[in-house]
Amino acid sequence: MKLRSEGFVITIRKWATAPGSVLHELLVVTAFCAFTALLTWPYVNYLRDVVVDKGDPYLVSWILWWDFHQTFTNPLHLFDANVFYPYRYSLAFSEHCYGIAILGFPLFALGLRPLTVHAIELFIGFVNTLQWYPWPFPFRQTHYALAWIIVGALLVHLAVKLPLIRANWRRTPEPAPESLPAETTGLTRRGLFRTVAGAATLVGIASVGQSAPAFGPVAVLAPRKPNVGPQGLPVNRTAEAAGVTGIDADWRFTIVGPRQLSYTLEELRALPQSRSDLPIACVEGWSQGARWEGVRMRDLLAAAGAAPNSRVRVVSMEKGGFYATSELPEEFAADPLTLLALRLNGAELALDHGFPARIIAPNRPGVLQTKWVHSLEVMT
Amino acid sequence: MRLRIGLLAAGAVTALWGVWELIRAVDLPALVRLPLWLGGAVVADDFVIVPLTVGIGWLVTRWSAGPGRHRTVGVVRTTLLYVGITSLIALPLLLRQGTGANPTVLPRDYLRDWLLLEATIVAVGYLCLMFRRSRASSGDIGGR
Repeated sequence: MKLRSEGFVITIRKWATAPGSVLHELLVVTAFCAFTALLTWPYVNYLRDVVVDKGDPYLVSWILWWDFHQTFTNPLHLFDANVFYPYRYSLAFSEHCYGIAILGFPLFALGLRPLTVHAIELFIGFVNTLQWYPWPFPFRQTHYALAWIIVGALLVHLAVKLPLIRANWRRTPEPAPESLPAETTGLTRRGLFRTVAGAATLVGIASVGQSAPAFGPVAVLAPRKPNVGPQGLPVNRTAEAAGVTGIDADWRFTIVGPRQLSYTLEELRALPQSRSDLPIACVEGWSQGARWEGVRMRDLLAAAGAAPNSRVRVVSMEKGGFYATSELPEEFAADPLTLLALRLNGAELALDHGFPARIIAPNRPGVLQTKWVHSLEVMT
Repeated sequence: MRLRIGLLAAGAVTALWGVWELIRAVDLPALVRLPLWLGGAVVADDFVIVPLTVGIGWLVTRWSAGPGRHRTVGVVRTTLLYVGITSLIALPLLLRQGTGANPTVLPRDYLRDWLLLEATIVAVGYLCLMFRRSRASSGDIGGR
């Protein structure tokens, strides 16, 4: 027993003092954060005071701060959150977020604000944004169920193999056989690291072009080319797939709000037009910037007599599908960049891009930039 | 013994709960396809990718035992790895070429691009190999 724990300490010490090991970790984290900053640009500029949504971020920011505060003032009452005073243990029945809170403790200690800490933690968590569903079963539910099965299988495996495991830990260690020297095999640890880094770089360069146009020409492993498509912009759901064939002569765009409004396409075009340079950024991993022209959402809301920061339900002419309607939260409706776009890159919207009118708003996934819009409903 | 029985019982209960979740969440046709998919991953890994990599690794190691080859085996191995990883990623693109949901999905000539990419990797690998050989033969005896 004593021998084993000493070996363990030596292993830990070796690991901690191995030349460059901490440095390597730092390099990996730094590179990851740099790429994240690049891919989510310009979010990194606003970490101090931007929340992507009003509900959860505020709650989680508060929880993170509470965890920090309580850990160093009254750790035995960590779960007795002040909001539910005098009831005890309330945080234990909610999300206590202690795991990610610990990561933020140094940041709090440096004096950063809870919102900033939350934003940084959210920022670090931007992974796995490339969605592709070739699976012949519901992905999320199946993985949830299989996780239980795998954990169960692991426990059964441990039960079956327990005598073997015990015997292994009880035996006296034999000296490990010397492996062939690197001069003969050409295999070194550093070489392995270099080769893996090289392979990752190669694959990265050959696929990042689907969201970074500069690398477009060499993006030979990317399923998209950012500037391919009608009007130089890729399409996810075509008009044909959405069952939209165009508009009749008596087409009207309507706004349902304090005042009911109805416009023909000509009347929409006659309203004051604004310009926004915004990308379509798809959750599948590609993105492409474009120049949009149309009517500001807040101007339309003002015309309908609604407050500029109203929530808006956007209704499309699209047949079926999960995204035939979308909801524009108040901060997007109020944003001066948010348009009911009529024109794209200097020409009338192509039918595949949502003719006659579509929504374009900053910082939203492409799937929520609803196309073929024919009415807006102000929600209260 | 008590620990083993405990682990066994906990494992069985957990796994059965997973099966129950699966039956509730997934309809019958998907339940039939699921083992095919999961089994397919095992078959592709254990009976295609692993034998292929082990086989190629064995060949490369055998080849590297020849005189003077320890200088060049690294380049050969790296080139093969790069060819392998890029081809693996290119495989679905090649299989689905021309069948994208609309013309903006999979818009490239992926066969041409893949061949160009592999040719580039092999050419760069070959240049590195030549460079190593020439350096080795110009009196750099036994050095690294």
